[in-house]
Amino acid sequence: MSNQTDLQIALTAVNKHYGAYHALKNIDLRIAKGSFVALVGPSGCGKSTLLRSMAGLESITSGDLFIAGERMNNVPPRKRDLAMVFQSYALYPHMTVEENLTYSLRIRGVKKAEAKKAAEDVAATTGLSGLMGRYPRELSGGQRQRVAMSRAIIRHPKAFLFDEPLSNLDAALRVHMRKEIRALHDRLGATSVYVTHDQIEAMTMADHVVVMRQGIIEQQGAPLDLYDRPVNRFVAGFIGSPAMNFVPAVAGDDGRSLLLDLGDGQRLALDRPIAAGRPLIAGLRPEHLVIDPTGAGPIRLRVAAVESTGSSSYITTASKPEIVLVTNGRSPVAPGDMITIGIAPQHVHVFDAETEARIEMLTG
Amino acid sequence: MKRIFSSLADGKGFDIALIVFPFAFLFVMAGLPLVYNVIMSFQEVDMFSLGSFARPFVGFKNYVTLFSQPETWPILKNTAIFVCASIAGQFVVGFGLALFFWTNFPGASWLRGLFLVSWVMPGLVVGAIWNWILSGDFGVLNYLLNTLGIIDGNIFWRSDPAYALWAVIIANIWLGTSFNMILLSVGLSAIPKDLFEAAELDGANAIQRFTTITLPMMRSTIGAVISLGLIFTLQQFDLFAAITSGGPNNASNVTQYWAWELSFRQYDFAQGATISVVMIVFVMIASIVYVRSTRHEVRG
Repeated sequence: MSNQTDLQIALTAVNKHYGAYHALKNIDLRIAKGSFVALVGPSGCGKSTLLRSMAGLESITSGDLFIAGERMNNVPPRKRDLAMVFQSYALYPHMTVEENLTYSLRIRGVKKAEAKKAAEDVAATTGLSGLMGRYPRELSGGQRQRVAMSRAIIRHPKAFLFDEPLSNLDAALRVHMRKEIRALHDRLGATSVYVTHDQIEAMTMADHVVVMRQGIIEQQGAPLDLYDRPVNRFVAGFIGSPAMNFVPAVAGDDGRSLLLDLGDGQRLALDRPIAAGRPLIAGLRPEHLVIDPTGAGPIRLRVAAVESTGSSSYITTASKPEIVLVTNGRSPVAPGDMITIGIAPQHVHVFDAETEARIEMLTG
Repeated sequence: MKRIFSSLADGKGFDIALIVFPFAFLFVMAGLPLVYNVIMSFQEVDMFSLGSFARPFVGFKNYVTLFSQPETWPILKNTAIFVCASIAGQFVVGFGLALFFWTNFPGASWLRGLFLVSWVMPGLVVGAIWNWILSGDFGVLNYLLNTLGIIDGNIFWRSDPAYALWAVIIANIWLGTSFNMILLSVGLSAIPKDLFEAAELDGANAIQRFTTITLPMMRSTIGAVISLGLIFTLQQFDLFAAITSGGPNNASNVTQYWAWELSFRQYDFAQGATISVVMIVFVMIASIVYVRSTRHEVRG
């Protein structure tokens, strides 16, 4: 492992048990130097446990953890040289901003003047210069967040670990900080591991997204690869907003179409052959569905509800299961209207109804 | 009438009522006796004038008399030793136990609850038990120390002037430790766990985490525990009554016991009141420390 110097963090077959509970199952993950990796998944999927295992706050039961080429399984957190930004920020309430920033330096015995200088430099880049004498309780949520970030930056650690750092901020600030964290990552040339339950955060910030569920990695890859080719129904439903529509289906007799179970035998063309007979699930992204004004599209359904945000409209159909589609601008239809919906064949995802795995192409 | 009732039910009247009752209670049950005690310390009081309030005013004569008595300074010194040693012992042992139970091993909270038993027991009962433990001839403590080879021959804890005060201090440390432990446990559990994790990642080892996170975060709790400890030790009377009765020859006498002796044994109410006033000053100082330390709670 040590010869792979471009790897900053590497996990091989990592397992974590809490008594009988199997929290992490055979995790294999390679994090390249300078990359921004997002761990994403629903709550309880093990993403925070995985992050805390890297930090050393949780011990791993089996497997290997390498940081910068060194095996770190039993190394205490303080010797791993990783910095973590906590969801609660975990600022030291009895210390001023400056003392918070210089804590790690003072612990390491850095001279007072030197630590002060380092704190001032970091504060200047994160916009905290005027707040050095304040206590955390005197800061706003966004300012606390910046202190937490600065406290990590000042150490020049091997990697930054973020544990849902934006979830305590309001929506507008969250969007802003998303960009700021990413810009900071690029400027420092840092390696970052970012835990979030918000797939938009993961998609927009990361180079490499790891989707987890129930302690296993369901899929990992570049954000748009996950969007374009989700390996199973779970990833397909998790990545993308609004979520993908799933419709029970069977392959048509011609082997190149899908019969959707939406009431009355709706047929969708495919751009690839598929074996007939077995139960399938069609995955249709709301943004790929288009209303066909000529009425010639393959799917005819009644509109149940229209929600408009101004920039786009969310149209929900009265079918079972209901279909959500997104159109730009004002909605051309109203509740009660009949609409015909079409979709380009290459945008139709097909999953096995039983295993829920993606079916790419099945012949014979 | 209706207006008064409705203001009681949902208006300012209820707020005022909530304040008036405790204030009236405090004034009648604590304020008046306190003032009466202070007034008495400036009067000449004897068995005959005890029933009337209008007694001859003597200025600071009682105070002058008090501080000219040969036993006053030794007793004040005993009190200081008793208070300092008791608080130090209770705090150190209590903090140690609190840290021990904080590790949260299986059964920790159950075991911690058991420790409260010592605090539930009446002081006189605790005193009686310690009388046996400290007994010079057949006491368990002497047996233990002899067996361990720490002492050679028996110590007569209760009747040896060199040890009498320490006998009471040992019993008092045992009595107050659990209270210290519970308050400090509460303070410890109020520190967010992620602060320690952050400090650990920042490179702090266990000792550094204790001195830079635990202790400063516990400042207000520690202030409260120590000032309450000061008040409780200055109140400690039962153990003296049960173990040494202040003897031998005032070797283990302290102000609170002496005040009682003067007032209710020798019927020198003026002197008893005067000592009490001196003690009030100390308790006041402790109260100010207590109020200040709980007001400056540091919480994120």
